Amino acid sequence: MTQRGIQRVVLFAIALFVGALIWELYKVVGPEDGGSIFGWQLIPKSNDRAMPHTWDIVDRLGQPESAALDEPIWRTILGYSWYTFRLALVGLVAGVIIGTSIAVLAARYSIAERAIMPWVVMSQTVPLIALAPQVVSWSGKFELFGWEWQRWMSVSLLAAFLSFFPIAVGTLRGLKSAPPAALELMDSYAASWWRTLVKLRFPAAIPHIVPAAKLAATLSVVGVIVSEVSTGVTGGIGRAVISYQQTASGDPTKPYAAVLGAAVLGLGLYGLVVLADVFLMRNRPQEADA
Amino acid sequence: MNAQQTNTAHTPVAQTVIVVGVSKVFNVGKPSEVSALTDINLTIEPGEFISLIGPSGCGKSTLLRLIANLIEPTEGAVSVNGKTAAQARVDQDYGMAFQQSGLFDWRTVQKNIELPLELKGWDKSRRAARAQEMLELVKLPEFARHMPWQLSGGMQQRVAIARALSAHPQLLLMDEPFGALDEMTREHMQAELLQICDVTETTVVFVTHSIPEAVYLSDRVVVMSPRPGRITEIIDIDLGRDRDQDTREDDTFYSSITVVREALRRVEDGTAGVRPRSGIDDR
Amino acid sequence: MSAVTAPDPATHPGATVASSPSGVVQKAWSIAWPPLAFGLAFVLLWEAAVKGFDLKPYFLPAPSSVIDAFFSNIDNVWSAARVSGTNAFVGLVAGAAVGVALSFALMRFDLLNLLVSPVAVALNAIPIVVIVALFSTMYPSTSEIPRRLMVTIIVNFIVLINVSKGLRQVNRIHLELLRSLAASPSDVLIKARIPNAVPYFFTSLKIAAPTAVITAFVSEYFGGRQNGLGYFIPSNFANSKTAIAWAYVIGACLLGLAFYLISILMEYITQHKRGPAPGGA
Repeated sequence: MTQRGIQRVVLFAIALFVGALIWELYKVVGPEDGGSIFGWQLIPKSNDRAMPHTWDIVDRLGQPESAALDEPIWRTILGYSWYTFRLALVGLVAGVIIGTSIAVLAARYSIAERAIMPWVVMSQTVPLIALAPQVVSWSGKFELFGWEWQRWMSVSLLAAFLSFFPIAVGTLRGLKSAPPAALELMDSYAASWWRTLVKLRFPAAIPHIVPAAKLAATLSVVGVIVSEVSTGVTGGIGRAVISYQQTASGDPTKPYAAVLGAAVLGLGLYGLVVLADVFLMRNRPQEADA
Repeated sequence: MNAQQTNTAHTPVAQTVIVVGVSKVFNVGKPSEVSALTDINLTIEPGEFISLIGPSGCGKSTLLRLIANLIEPTEGAVSVNGKTAAQARVDQDYGMAFQQSGLFDWRTVQKNIELPLELKGWDKSRRAARAQEMLELVKLPEFARHMPWQLSGGMQQRVAIARALSAHPQLLLMDEPFGALDEMTREHMQAELLQICDVTETTVVFVTHSIPEAVYLSDRVVVMSPRPGRITEIIDIDLGRDRDQDTREDDTFYSSITVVREALRRVEDGTAGVRPRSGIDDR
Repeated sequence: MSAVTAPDPATHPGATVASSPSGVVQKAWSIAWPPLAFGLAFVLLWEAAVKGFDLKPYFLPAPSSVIDAFFSNIDNVWSAARVSGTNAFVGLVAGAAVGVALSFALMRFDLLNLLVSPVAVALNAIPIVVIVALFSTMYPSTSEIPRRLMVTIIVNFIVLINVSKGLRQVNRIHLELLRSLAASPSDVLIKARIPNAVPYFFTSLKIAAPTAVITAFVSEYFGGRQNGLGYFIPSNFANSKTAIAWAYVIGACLLGLAFYLISILMEYITQHKRGPAPGGA
């Protein structure tokens, strides 16, 4: 399995290299100020401000964020990523808890399933991110048991919102996937519904929960990144992307550094889910990779 | 109704399938190497109904696939209708049916039957006519426009058989086609299959797990054993050509079943030898 | 000889024989009333909470004022939705086309497959929407192309992964059957792989269509003209015009729903003949 993983990583590195090659090639042949096809400005500009050289991008990572600072930007960026990572992780965990609870409720009471699940499914089709500012406005005005609502909590709450939906759908599907013969077996032991839940349905659900969790992780990260922008939370990578982009004309390679930071962050959270997957599925027959 | 005339004019004496000294080894040279078949010799006459029976791992499905040229032998040769198995496949000289009906669920019943004819390049009206003829043969004429999911398992298999025979091949290869059906339907389908093959005069090689099924259907039952896969006995079934549901009550039927069962027991016990290869016995 | 039997529930769970028109209406109602009841209860609760706790509008507006704001601003909401919706639509169509084309190319050219697959897997984990920020320097500042490009890329990978699966994961029996019929590789492609992949395509559309809307929306956060839902919602919230902001939110929800319903409709129209379990993710 790890041999496969190494193979994948190597192939990915090669793909990156090929991508960089194509990038530089385009810079040589492409129009400096962009071009149009059939009147639409479809062809990107290839000048150094719009598309910096790949080596300039790499180079920039070693330099500080601004002239006044000392540490190289990659360090600064990792700091932002770490901040965002923690928010996304809290959001994901909260999302898993909420999503699982809803799924269990829906599995237990079919009327709950019929009433709630259509909304859950529909909520995946609309941009819930839009509600970020509303949720943020609750900060500072809200106290829960003497515990004040912080801005960052709004961000994590939003991430939880985004991630609980796929978890709810996936977990419910998993809970219902227990084979009827196994359910009848538990019945014959006069096992209560909750016992059956713990001993049969949940273990049966794990292969369905994991892909849902992977999706939830991605949504959580995107949710946090975008929320940072609309909630004015500072110190995260989302804010960095936006502010670097605004100064891109003077410092065209900086946004690329931020994007890389976001990528690392995404891989980190996704990687956590994959680790959990490996741990939870260690005794099961491996599915052949599609 | 002699459906054979459209095909190559074969002298009645020519044998349909000849397997000579065939062996099959999978994963040669690798640690997972397994010898599936050794030294298989078998001759099948035109119009014969042959069953291959034996425990798991005896290679009966492998042998069928070698005849079908879906895999190549490691040693030895297979000839079909006087050609190599590969040529026979390219010429579409046989039809095949599997345990799963394998119908395309996006095609109607009729279009499923037309599939081999499309691949032969037949034009639309000719295909439709032949498909209708086949539907009559398997007694499903009013289901031409239905979709496979609307049919029961037995009916789907009948369509699969109609498809396998639609190009009127001389040879029909079947890999446990009734395995997924319940006993009643199975017996019914067996009788129908015999009727159909009677009409079309097809040679059939039939892989099965079921002793009564093998005895009911076949002229000869080929008993195989595993590790390594080989033919241990070939048993003649003396029930004549006109078999029907009453045949199942026949004494000869029961005694033949016993003969086959005992042959299989010898396989199990390991007391079965390799069938001697002699000119006469090898008919 | 047996008549047409009802589809075997063991192999086709959920299949029902067609019923009368009143039966269909009855069935639709029994599906619809629980969520409708739940939604109505939720809205009523919300209204009661706002009025009862006397919540300030910037904190949480009442449903009644939201609905009011929606209808009085409907023109603005519509034009903002049009912008985001057009971006989503263009990206959806382009992404689907590129995705299908690419899946054929990957099937044909192993080398391409080797390079693109790990990228597709990695992109699953990365919040690639941030690269819209990079695109905006490559195009004029008033161009909608960066957003459309973003949607195209994301839709492309969704469609690519699913259609590839459909082209590759053909039932083994079908492949054996075709081989026994001496079918050429292009025969196999046309007669088996492509029909097999069609349901996978529509499944991917069902995922991609709402994703396109969401991506178009989120892309507006990273620069470009201030003309879509992704601009008006945050800015209205920022100015404490929460009822109006929620009105735009409703617009966004309706847009997402519309895309989703259209994709379901497309799937139904093309696929319902195939039977209850046409396959696909």
